[in-house]
Amino acid sequence: MTVGTTYETPRAGERKGEVRTVNVGGMRVPYHLTLLERPDPYLDIDSYDPEADLMALNMGPQHPSTHGVLRVKLYLDGETCIKAVPYLGYLHRGVEKLCEKLTYVQITPIVDKNDYVSPMMNELAINMAFEALLKVEVPPRALFIRTVCAEIQRVASHLLWLGTFGLDVGGGIGGGATLFMHTFREREMCLDLFENLTGCRFHYNTHQVGGNRHDIPEGWDQKVKRALGHIASRVDEYEAFVENPIFKARTIGVGVIDPILAMELGVCGPILRASGIDFDLRRDAPYAAYDKVEINVPVETAGDAYARYLVRVREMRESIRIALTLLDGVPEGPISALKPVKGPTNVKPKPGEAYVSIESPRGELGTYVISDGSPNPYRCKLRPPSLHAAALLPYLAPGSMVSDIVATLGSLDFILGEVDR
Amino acid sequence: MMEGGLLFGNPWLHGLIMGVIVLSGAMGVAAYAVWFERKFAARMQNRPGPTEVGYGGLLQPIADLLKLLQKEHLIPRSADRPLFNLAPVLVVIAPLATLAVIPFGPGLVGTDPSIGLLFALAISSLMVIPVWMAGWASNNKYALLGAMRAAAQAISYEIPLLLAAMVPIVLTGSFRVGDIVAAQEGGRWFAFWPPGPGFFAFLLFFFASLAESNRIPFDIPEAESELVAGVTTEYSGMIFGLIYLAEYLHTFIASALAALLFLGGWQGPGPDGIHWMLLKSLLVFAVIFWIRWSWLRYRSDQLMAMCWKIFLPLGLVLVMASAIWVQLR
Amino acid sequence: MSLLSLAQALRVSFQNLTRPKNTEPLPWKGSRERAERYRASFALVHDEHGEEACIGCMLCEKICPSQIISVTQGPKAPSAATGKPRGWCTDFTLDLNACIICELCVQVCPADAIIMMRVQEKPGFAREDLLLTMEKLYANEKLAKLTWATPTKLQEMQDPKPKRPEPVAAAPAKDAAPIKDAAPAAGASSAKDAAPGAESAPAAGTTPSKDAEPAKEVPPVKETPPASDAAPAAGTEKPSDA
Repeated sequence: MTVGTTYETPRAGERKGEVRTVNVGGMRVPYHLTLLERPDPYLDIDSYDPEADLMALNMGPQHPSTHGVLRVKLYLDGETCIKAVPYLGYLHRGVEKLCEKLTYVQITPIVDKNDYVSPMMNELAINMAFEALLKVEVPPRALFIRTVCAEIQRVASHLLWLGTFGLDVGGGIGGGATLFMHTFREREMCLDLFENLTGCRFHYNTHQVGGNRHDIPEGWDQKVKRALGHIASRVDEYEAFVENPIFKARTIGVGVIDPILAMELGVCGPILRASGIDFDLRRDAPYAAYDKVEINVPVETAGDAYARYLVRVREMRESIRIALTLLDGVPEGPISALKPVKGPTNVKPKPGEAYVSIESPRGELGTYVISDGSPNPYRCKLRPPSLHAAALLPYLAPGSMVSDIVATLGSLDFILGEVDR
Repeated sequence: MMEGGLLFGNPWLHGLIMGVIVLSGAMGVAAYAVWFERKFAARMQNRPGPTEVGYGGLLQPIADLLKLLQKEHLIPRSADRPLFNLAPVLVVIAPLATLAVIPFGPGLVGTDPSIGLLFALAISSLMVIPVWMAGWASNNKYALLGAMRAAAQAISYEIPLLLAAMVPIVLTGSFRVGDIVAAQEGGRWFAFWPPGPGFFAFLLFFFASLAESNRIPFDIPEAESELVAGVTTEYSGMIFGLIYLAEYLHTFIASALAALLFLGGWQGPGPDGIHWMLLKSLLVFAVIFWIRWSWLRYRSDQLMAMCWKIFLPLGLVLVMASAIWVQLR
Repeated sequence: MSLLSLAQALRVSFQNLTRPKNTEPLPWKGSRERAERYRASFALVHDEHGEEACIGCMLCEKICPSQIISVTQGPKAPSAATGKPRGWCTDFTLDLNACIICELCVQVCPADAIIMMRVQEKPGFAREDLLLTMEKLYANEKLAKLTWATPTKLQEMQDPKPKRPEPVAAAPAKDAAPIKDAAPAAGASSAKDAAPGAESAPAAGTTPSKDAEPAKEVPPVKETPPASDAAPAAGTEKPSDA
């Protein structure tokens, strides 16, 4: 392992022009990223250069940029990291166990709190799993509403990511805070839309087994069009604000992810797409109403923090387009296939099991449910994309400075509520 | 200027009275700079900013001061107590001593010695020692890293700062701040007059003093997303307030020096006087805040690279260019 | 070029100086108008006869995921207004400290008794301040800031197959009219308290005019039968109170 060489990463082809790709496991992987050196995450500190004056720095669990309560133990040689060990579990709330104790009806508001940046996705994932278990067909109107909500939520989530990434790169007392406030201004519009639809700005509990709990209110579609059009124009403003030499100096070549490693670790979502792998569940395994709309998947081949920024910003624009397209085609009809919930034990699937995965803003969010015929699931396993993204950290941190680790952490965009559950 | 540059014949009396005026004025400016910055940043972010204490939050600095005074002065058990307590005091002394030679108007100066500018730059660069002291005495890894970065940055950027200040010195042929201002008489401000070097020297001075006073985009010593709060991590209460005050004083002095050396000081269209000086330095101050709340932050190694690869050669070229200008004139 | 992009950042932050403030005033300096469906605190309401609507069926206590509601069921007694025997609730406590505002208690209430409110609870100095006792819940009703969602309206909205004749008659109007009016029309035409005549008249008026193009609403109607077949198969059971 070498230290201090990650600044000169191979960036063959850059973002324009041809990028040579190789076939790895059926996926086209950019060739230059496969050449990356993979640091040893289990480096033996005792066998490291005995002359070096190492410093162990516990970054977190109370640290401004660990996005909650992640604790990373950094072994620093000067200011260069030689080994990073993430410690998870500071936000463990036992959600999976809780799901076993609660009934199918009660679980939805609980899983809202997993990925607390995009609750709509959690609801969607878990309810789709329950519906697969029940083998119930969700009415098309509910599917469209779910999809529109999911896309608005994706915009909101990426806006929050952009703001917090600004905080990581630019500081909470400085330009980063300005970016943060600007993105939150627009995210507020998304939350207002959800307030109009479901009554809650967050933790909506608007999905239920078999459909939705809330129908579209009068005039909501006009509000959505206005708000999303506004956000689309503001995204240009963020680009003007952010895309300057300082931001590029901080992100280009930082935290370059080897896509093969990422696939081995199960990382997906924008991180994988920024590493040149064209994979999006919305397009490749459509669920809800995604088969009714054309989806362009933004892909970047540089694999660094800047590529991830580009992918997420483009995804924001794409989500706005998808939401607006679907909003025009919302069919009439019922919003729920089952009778309205009138008691905690209303839903009782037959014994069986189901796995459903959706594309959350952070990647593949999977839910695996086993039913034993009782009103509560026998087992409910959540597959959070953030956990896999956090697993990348020991591979990305060695060789970079503390500032770069912070930028890498920010660009991975994991949510600790989802990592620890 | 008055005879010998003194308003009140006796230099001791003059120094005493001017000291009180300048120090209290600068303290007030520093306190209200915080208010102004908060309001300014808030409006940039579509927020109202402080509104609760006084009209438009005008009493906010006083409320903050009272709050900081009430707070407990926490000292970590493993800290080096004498150094820990001494460092914030020394941090404030450096900018306050610099204020002695900074004129705010004709004769409105503690003392205007023949090496005034040299004194100001030398004393303000002393600030790195107490900052390092604070970082070391805190016995905290974040504080240590922050102090390390602060020391490296301050020492590196000292050189381009001095080189940029050399341009007006070469053009004037004097270290006396009063002489430098006098040489810019008639609107021939050094930022504009020798058309090439002056302007670039102004920019160089501006950005180097941004780095000296740890402002974005060069605020890596207190990069709060990386180092929690840098050297101030372990400080609390008024002793933290002192470091905070010193930072703002330092920024204010940097903008005052920029106004004196490159923007004609207290001279302006219409009557000369302190109003021009205050206007210009506050304008530079506002630009510093504007930049602070608009740009992101560099990494420390990029910062060093910029200093040694761009700023230093640029400074040398500018000093040479101004020397040639003086010879050819 | 690159320096120009740095100036762009300055321009963006400068042009934001002139934009209106988007933060909301502090709560004691005026509150923002919340959406019709906004849900925050709780209230217990009286029914149309002026009696306490809660019948003490304890369904909300059973469904609450955080188990923060506790209901004490009183003996059945005849109602003063109608003379029919009905259940009564002698004590009702809702602990807002742990409430997750999921609206499930409203969803299941068979008596339209518990309704959420559009105003936030007032923060207090003690834990007991957030403990909504029965008196506080009935006092909340007088604040007249109830949210839109009564249990009946929620269930009407979610019902895959409208039961009663009036909603069926209103259904083509609802489907033909583009999205707007969908929810309120369906909700209002079936709600007991709203004047049914006044509401159904415009609905009936729109029916013939838009009847010519019900092409869009046919597929959902066709799709309902399999859905309703699946529902019993899923083991949907009647709640114990009914």
